[in-house]
Amino acid sequence: MKILLMGHPNVGKSVVFNRLTGARVIESNYPGTTIDYTKGWMQLGGKSIEIIDVPGTFSLEPKDKAEEVAVKMLEEERESIVICVIDASKIERGLYLALQIIEKGYPVVIALNMWDVTEDKNIEVDVERLRQILGIPIVPTIAISGEGIRELASKIEEASPIKIEKIMEKAGG
Amino acid sequence: MERKLSEMDYEEEGVVKSIKEDLKEKIAGMGIRVGKKLKMLAKQPIKGPVVVTVDKAETSLGLGLADKIIVEIEK
Repeated sequence: MKILLMGHPNVGKSVVFNRLTGARVIESNYPGTTIDYTKGWMQLGGKSIEIIDVPGTFSLEPKDKAEEVAVKMLEEERESIVICVIDASKIERGLYLALQIIEKGYPVVIALNMWDVTEDKNIEVDVERLRQILGIPIVPTIAISGEGIRELASKIEEASPIKIEKIMEKAGG
Repeated sequence: MERKLSEMDYEEEGVVKSIKEDLKEKIAGMGIRVGKKLKMLAKQPIKGPVVVTVDKAETSLGLGLADKIIVEIEK
């Protein structure tokens, strides 16, 4: 089992990554391209689990090289759990990507990162309602200060694949 | 009044009316879809990208994309 960190560019994936791994990281090149990705290990339930910081992508229909790499990595790692990092102040676009990943059958945990920014911008996010609709673990985080990271790590093992039809039902079509 | 997104003026606001079919999925990941409210923030010179606000968040689009999005201007 591996953990993939996915999300849009500039939502703080790498900061979350560094928090989860304690920054014992190896930089590497994805074969055939110059797109960098980072992998490391984190301790989960006494085991050491590989975690990959996937290049940022807006959707699963790749528009450039970095997005191609992201989509390919997702497809190659069928046995992975995906932590989808979303900029909580730009939640709709993030959820679009999260739903695409859920639709492909991956267990997903959502990190609503930059939670402090939503407060600054007076954006209210009903996390409880979102949990009800999606049926997956959702954790507000502020990666740069480390808030929510421990909770995020503790929820990883609770993730399980959800049928997209079920979500549509609960969201009311 | 309808106008292409690429032809909106600064500070102008409007609601997305239609998007060329083959682009719909491509830009949904950027938070732009039919019914969304947009505000034009900036157009970069020399056929550069346009910057709009959607849901209090900025996003930039290539001029080619912006040409294929029709917006109903509100103010």
